[in-house]
Order: sequence, then C-alpha cells, then structure tokens
Amino acid sequence: MKLKLAMTAVAVFLSGAAFAADPIKIGLSGPFTGGSSSMGVSMRDGVKLAVDEINKAGGVLGRQISLVERDDEAKNELGVQIAQELVNKESVVASVGFINTGVALAAQRFFQEAEIPVFNNVATGSVIAKQFVAPEHKANYIFRNAANDTIQSAMIADEAVKRQGFKKPAILADSTNYGQLGKTDLTAALAKSGITPVATEKFNIGDTDMTSQLLKAKEAGADVILTYAIGPELAQIANGMAKLGWKVPMIGSWTLSMASFIDTAGPNGDGAMMPQTFIQMPTTPKRKAFIEAYQKAYNVDRIPSPVSAAQGYDSIYLLAAAIKQAGGTDGRKIREALENLNEKVEGVVTTYDKPFTATDHEAITDNIPVFGLVKGGRVVPAHPEDIAGDKALRVKSKS
Amino acid sequence: MSILMQLVVSGMAVGMIYGVIAFGYQLTFATSKTLNFGQGEALMLGALVGLTAINFLIGQSLGTFWAYLLMLPIVLAFGALQGTVVEWLGVRQAIKTKSEAGWIMATIALGIIFKNVAENVWGRDALKFPSPLPEASLSFWGIRIQPMEIAIVIGAVGMMLAVEFFNRRTILGKAVVATANDRDAAGLMGIDTAKVITFSYALSSMTAAFAGVLVAPVTLTGATMGAVLGLKAFAVAIIGGLSSGLGVVVGGLILGVTETLTGYYISTGYKDVPGLVLLLLVLSLRPSGLFGKATIKKV
Repeated sequence: MKLKLAMTAVAVFLSGAAFAADPIKIGLSGPFTGGSSSMGVSMRDGVKLAVDEINKAGGVLGRQISLVERDDEAKNELGVQIAQELVNKESVVASVGFINTGVALAAQRFFQEAEIPVFNNVATGSVIAKQFVAPEHKANYIFRNAANDTIQSAMIADEAVKRQGFKKPAILADSTNYGQLGKTDLTAALAKSGITPVATEKFNIGDTDMTSQLLKAKEAGADVILTYAIGPELAQIANGMAKLGWKVPMIGSWTLSMASFIDTAGPNGDGAMMPQTFIQMPTTPKRKAFIEAYQKAYNVDRIPSPVSAAQGYDSIYLLAAAIKQAGGTDGRKIREALENLNEKVEGVVTTYDKPFTATDHEAITDNIPVFGLVKGGRVVPAHPEDIAGDKALRVKSKS
Repeated sequence: MSILMQLVVSGMAVGMIYGVIAFGYQLTFATSKTLNFGQGEALMLGALVGLTAINFLIGQSLGTFWAYLLMLPIVLAFGALQGTVVEWLGVRQAIKTKSEAGWIMATIALGIIFKNVAENVWGRDALKFPSPLPEASLSFWGIRIQPMEIAIVIGAVGMMLAVEFFNRRTILGKAVVATANDRDAAGLMGIDTAKVITFSYALSSMTAAFAGVLVAPVTLTGATMGAVLGLKAFAVAIIGGLSSGLGVVVGGLILGVTETLTGYYISTGYKDVPGLVLLLLVLSLRPSGLFGKATIKKV
C-alpha cells in the first residue's frame, strides 16, 4: 500500500515536471526559398539565434521556446494555409515572420481571429499594422518592428530632394503589390516637397531588359532614379544603366541592400542608397555581440540581409519580455503586455522602451533608420555622421 | 532617331533570345508533330549545368573565356541526354498509341519535375553567370550594345545555320528531313523514324541548353528563368509558324522589338500587350503562322 502511494506520488511529480517543462510554441514563417529568400533566411537565422540564447539562459517562465518553422515561398495562398495550420493544428502561442506584404495581408487575419499576437519583423507595407484597428475590431493583434513604407518613402524623398538637391526624379517600380503601393507612397512623399516625378515606369518580375524604362527616364531628363522593387530586377536596372552609358544615382527602398542586388549588379550597383534599420557594424556593444554570434553560428562573414536578421532577433526578445510580463501564454494577456511593456528591451536595432501602445503597434519610427550605401559588395553608412558617437543608438520618439 | 535605333537594337537582342528557344519547338514539331512544353526548363537546366561547369573550370584557374568555351561541349552533351530522356519517358508512348494529348501532359509534367529538381540542387535564388566577354557596352554611332548581346545574335544564327547544314548535307540530316516531310513514307523507305524522333528531341534540348548558356550572362540564372522565356518563345513559335526555322527567328525579332517600342512609346505597363494581340491576330488570320505552311489534316 505504502509502495503504491509512493509510486503515485512519483507519477504525479513526474507529470508535474513534464508540464512545467512543456515548451512554449512560437510560429516562424517566411520565404526560405525563392526570390525573397535572402531576407527570409536571415530573418529565420536571427530568430533562431535569439531563441537559442533565451533557451540557454533557462527559457521564459522556466519553459523552453520551441519554434514551428514553415516556408511560405512568398506565396499568398501558402501563407494562408500556414497561418491556419499554426493556429489550429500547432496551437502556437504567438507567431513571428512575414517578409512579403501580400502574404502578411492575406494570412495574418487568422491570428487576429484566434487572438494570437503576430509579429511582422520584416514586411513593410504601410497598411499591415493597421489592418485590424478600432472601432471595427476590439483589439489589434498585429505588431511590427520594421520600418514601414510610409517612413521609407518619406526618407527616400527627403534624401533625394532635400539632402542631395535633385529636382527631377524618375520612379521605377515593379508590378507587384510591394512595388505599386510603394510607388504611390513615394509619389505622395515627393508631392509634399512640391516635386512631381518626371517619369513613372513599371516592369514585371523576371524582366531582363530595362531599355524602354531607362530611356524614358533618361529622355525625361531624370537626375536620380528612385526604386521600389526587389533584388534581381534592381540589378537589371543598374546593369541596364551601365549598358546605356548613363549614370545617375539610385535611391530606393531597403531592398537595395539585398544580396541578390549587390552581387548581380557588381560594380554597377555601387553608390545605391536605401533606408536601413541596421547596418552590419559594431556601433553598440549589443550589435557587436549580435554580429559575432551570427557569424559564429552560421559561419558567414557578411550577413545576407542584416536588417532582416536584426529585426528577426529583436522580435523574439520583445515577445519573450511580453510573455514573461503576462505570466503565461494566453494570447490576450501577451497582447496587453506588449501594449504596456514594463521591461526595457535592449535590441540590436534600438532599445525598446514601451515600443507599443493600444493604438500604436509600430516599434520603428522615422528617426530610427539611417541611409545605407552599397560600396564594394557591402552596405556601409551613407552619412557616417548620422551614426557617430551617441547617435548610434536611435530610440523611438515619444509622441 | 538614335533612340528609335537603340530601342530596335535592344529589342532585337531580346527577340533573338526568344527566337533561339522557339527554334527548339520547331525542331521536334517538324519530325513528330509534338512539342516539348518543358523547353523553358531544358533551357534552365542547360544554364545551371553550365554555371556549375564554368565555376568548376574557373576554379581550375582557367580564364572565364576559355572556361566558357570548354563548358560548351559539356552543356551540349547534357542537353542531348536530357532531350532523349524526355522523349523516352514522355513522348514515345504517346506517339505509339497515337494519343492526342498524352505528350502534352507528359512534357509539362517532366518540365515541373525538372524545375523542382533544379530548385533542390541549385536553390531558388537568381545567380550570376560569369560573362565570357567584357561587360562594358560598345557604342556604334551612339547606339550602345553589350558584347554578350552581339554574341547571342551570332551564336543563335550560327546554331541555326549548323542545324540547317546538318539537315541538307548529312545522311542522318536527310533522314530527319524525310521524316518531317512524310513520316509514313520515310518509314517505308527504311528510315527508323522512331530513332529520328528521339534524335530530334535530343537536338531540340541541345539547342535549348545552348540557348541557356548563351543568354545566362545577360539574364541571370535560376530555376525559374525558364518559365517566362519558355512562354514567350511559345508565342514566338506560333507567330512565326511552327514549321519554319526562318519563321521563328523573324517571329522572335518581331516580338522583341514590339515589346521595347511599346514600352517606350506607349507605356511600360502595357509592354506585353501588343505581342499577345499579334498572337491572337495571327491565330485568327493565319493559324499556321506568318511563315508556316498551311497543312491540311486528313482525318
């Protein structure tokens, strides 16, 4: 009898222990193959790095974090399928990811409906974090720690018009959601400085000849080319300009930092400028530690997409802090914790001091990104004075 | 004026790329009245195999130019092999049973398989193909053109002349022509038409693989490069006429030049429209293509 009691006690104890050690499941989705994979893979690797560090330090609330990884191939329909799987089958506590604006807009509603917080750590479409806002929706479960297109297009316009004094910009954008929404944002941002683009041209994914687009820009007298597209086609633009023997500066969205642009454009891509939340340089101790850890873990010198890696890494620390504050894995409590985060989270991009409120789900404000410049196969700061000294760490402005 | 000329020249370079790929469609259609819908994938595989080969050869401390020349036979042999496999697996049975649609499904299916294999072997990123010629463009009377674009035109014309020479001057080539003219009669004359068809598939994929390494330095290389090019080339083959080698070249030039001209003079957003309108016009007015011989199908 005594033995039986002892065994029951042991069994109870064991099951209790098993419960405490139950991992916290977090979804991770993005394009790990295909044209946007350099961003997706860097983001994933940044996320995994943060999860490993947290788990080694004992996890969150004494529980380990386990990731459920899914490749959405940058396809909207696949993103929708994955979101449903993560919510219904895997019962994740929260999810991070989304590189492509289209995928995010199509897929995140499933998290919203299930009241599971989702972190957009790369996708930039302006509307993403505002897809489910009051009064139509009681609470918004969509958070973002990436510089959105409203911020980026304003920065591009300011850089081109105010800082560098160009008067006749031409806009070249691809025909995807990303390119066309970005083009609209960019036109609006230019209009604020009273500038109308001299040419607005379009091309398709996979186009190999940019002669028509570039000649139109050239004949219109463009003195700078503003871009909203992704790596391979951006490279065709840079190479096409070299072919036509016409060289004007290229300033565009952050995708000009993609490895596929830098590598395929080669010397023709040198000088291209784009907004960056993070440049691979050890300007703060946290950044130094992050770069070294990344290089060691994945055995690379150049991070394929430093911005994606840093934002992926930060998204996990923000989430972990919120789960700790919520004291559990209830989606509603995690959202409330995120909207009123007590802990200051020291991230790679910035130090997050109350990054979100109930009405503001954007952790990155327009004062955080700086301009990067392609130089010799790397992205370096375009204006070193912008990140000199104590300006290296730029924190969200309080409204 | 120089703008118009620049557009025409750039359009011709693009059009020649379409023409070379469309030429492969024409080769198999002539002998077997079937097409390899995986022609774009044959091109893609050729380019990727070529990329691996050329990188290996450059690694052996060869210059890019010599590495490129040495890589060509490897790619051509691979293309021939790949075409043979397609014919064996996808087309032979359909021809034997006189199936009307079997070969369509089979070649599309094989194309998808090849694409998936390529994605697993080479990944899905667009890769840069080392250019054997200098990348700085040349200027002729204010019109600028890349040396590689000239090489594409020369390579494409050279390849078509070689095939034409082969058909007219060699005994095997004559068997191909005979089969193209009348398969049954050729069979009765003692020509093994099944072998000729296999051979035409090998030749077709070989030209596709060659086209792949020819265009790769200009277009970037990747598992998805075949899809757009293969489709455009198919339109070219319809416009020019599937039974005419000259037709597909002219069809390619027409499509390439209309694309760049529309892009400049109308709108880059409508670049692809006139080509497709032309395709519809040709289909309704001259279904056998601009240069095709009208065939009467006896049932």
